[in-house]
Amino acid sequence: MPSTLLGRWADSNALSLGVLGVGNIGMVHLKSALAMPDVDVVAAADALPANRDRAERAGVARTYDDYTTLLEAEDLDVAVVALPPFLHADAVECAADAGVDVFVEKPLARSTDEADELLETAREANIAVGVDHTLRYQPDMAGVKDDYDDGAVGHVPYASITRLNDHPLGRPPADDAPPEWPLDPDAAGGGSLIELGVHCFDVLEWLFGDLEVRDATMGQSLDIPAEDAATVLLQAPETGTAITLHCGTYQWEQLPEVNTRLRLEGITGTISNQDHLPENFYASAATSALSNVASRLTGSGPDVFGPTFYLQAHYDALADFCTAVREGETPPVDGADGRRTLELAETAYELAEAAESDTLEVPEVMT
Amino acid sequence: MSVHVATVDVPERRGGWTTDTDRRLALLESPVRAVLEPYADSHSDVDRITLVPDAHYPFHPSSGMVTDPAVVGSIAAVLQAQTGADIAVSGATDDTIAFDRAAGYLGYPSVLDRFDVDLVDLAEESRRDCVVSVPEQQLSVSVPDRLLESTVIVVPTLRPTRAGSVAGGIRTLGRLTASVADADLTALGAMRAIEPAFSVLDATTAYGGDPIAADTLATGPTPQVDAIGASLLDRSLESDPVLKHALGADEPSITVESATGDDVDLTALRRRLPDGELPPPDDTHPAVSTAYRLYAAVAGDAVPPQLEQRR
Repeated sequence: MPSTLLGRWADSNALSLGVLGVGNIGMVHLKSALAMPDVDVVAAADALPANRDRAERAGVARTYDDYTTLLEAEDLDVAVVALPPFLHADAVECAADAGVDVFVEKPLARSTDEADELLETAREANIAVGVDHTLRYQPDMAGVKDDYDDGAVGHVPYASITRLNDHPLGRPPADDAPPEWPLDPDAAGGGSLIELGVHCFDVLEWLFGDLEVRDATMGQSLDIPAEDAATVLLQAPETGTAITLHCGTYQWEQLPEVNTRLRLEGITGTISNQDHLPENFYASAATSALSNVASRLTGSGPDVFGPTFYLQAHYDALADFCTAVREGETPPVDGADGRRTLELAETAYELAEAAESDTLEVPEVMT
Repeated sequence: MSVHVATVDVPERRGGWTTDTDRRLALLESPVRAVLEPYADSHSDVDRITLVPDAHYPFHPSSGMVTDPAVVGSIAAVLQAQTGADIAVSGATDDTIAFDRAAGYLGYPSVLDRFDVDLVDLAEESRRDCVVSVPEQQLSVSVPDRLLESTVIVVPTLRPTRAGSVAGGIRTLGRLTASVADADLTALGAMRAIEPAFSVLDATTAYGGDPIAADTLATGPTPQVDAIGASLLDRSLESDPVLKHALGADEPSITVESATGDDVDLTALRRRLPDGELPPPDDTHPAVSTAYRLYAAVAGDAVPPQLEQRR
């Protein structure tokens, strides 16, 4: 962390925070920030009036239809960049011009080249960059790591991770037009591997150390420009673990159920994230309610998004970033981590493309 | 009035969905020819045919929520050979999604290109008002000219609507027209104005709360085919206002014939089909949304945007 950042916030009572982009995930960040102690959410920006209205109803003081205007008009400490990926680099550049630290929704950028430029801009401006890779913040993933680090199943020769949802097409009934950009690789940086796979790469390196991509294949269930399924074969040299990763945006999802599976196959048994999930939503909600009421009485901090562990993970990730900024430390999931997930995705794309273009050699038939 | 039924024989099945479009077209060729055969003579001299599938949104065809483009392509190929007519496949851009986008994602262009069949967005075409009789009133419906000037064949999939009725051919036509009346009366008016030649029910994959490979095609007058579809999904004809009026006194007289000469056992098919509904309209189940709001009120927590009911 640059020394100039140390103590920047030492005399500050609260971080001044703005949210750039308040679509679904931007609203999660906005509501998270509004619930944080020592964070003052001063403004949000979104091109869509309906999103701005929603942000105002949530309690943000001012809204803008352009994030550049917000960054020029407001005196921010932190900007949450929850814009589509094709705007990340520009938004970070604008934030850098204003000297504002950034917490960027994944993917950090559309490519490692774009990430390099983004990170160089941030370095020159001496701003911190955090990335919203949240799987490692989920209690089920933390439970897996605890068991694994405890040696609960011995050596793990094989692991698998699956993450599926229906972004952006959804399931019936159809109410809204799906946004164009998530289906446009030029705008999003790719398909489901960029949408979901980068989260998986991040949590896998958190568990197993540096990964090597050995092979990959991409799939399309519909005639869309980007892949809606990706399967990647990985090797973790440090732990001697072979790993398969499958992610896809083809499966109908109904919240609060989410389809994220992580299994570590060890010598003495299996570690599964399913064993660390709340048993059901209602029980979890009741537990969180009791916990929060108790927190009110004791004056300690309540859970935020308590019953939905995957949204609580977004809160925790942003809270950790704000703490790091406040204390002048490197963000726990920083730009280098975000870039690394893109590097692994690019290798997977290259291997899949190479396999696709390989022509089958017809073996010589001996007669 | 007869409804002609054929089953699609899928040898060496691997799962419920055949991914390869060429293979689906090959599997469909014979049963599609069989169910269209009863109409071969009556339509031999038409010069313009419009096929109207249920392509309302890019849900994967293996879900049963949309008409399989291979079924539509196969119908087009058979009709081309039988009639030499100029064939188009039509839908309309609506408030939810552009037709070319939905049809494109579903793979319609790549299938239809094989048969030199055009994809037409009726939202971009001229239309005219037609006054038709619907229960207790005369209704003016705005109908695309193409549907009035060509031989229309509706190709619905077998699925329920959001309200729970069978989607069917009548309601598929209703989505392409406009009137001041509600959706049901508009659908009824659309059918009376357009007078579709017949329907081809794509029940190769059906949806009734879950998808199922039903491997069945049925042709016949649009109301009668819709009635068969409703029956297969275990919906009451009497409580469906569209079917009740569309069928009128004809309802008891529907006969089902095998198009191939093989036995047709719709009772067995009906037992196989799930009779459920579409998922709830919100991202989250309404019971969960309600529980979350209660929780948030008690606990002082935030309600995630994904769990808020749509406004």
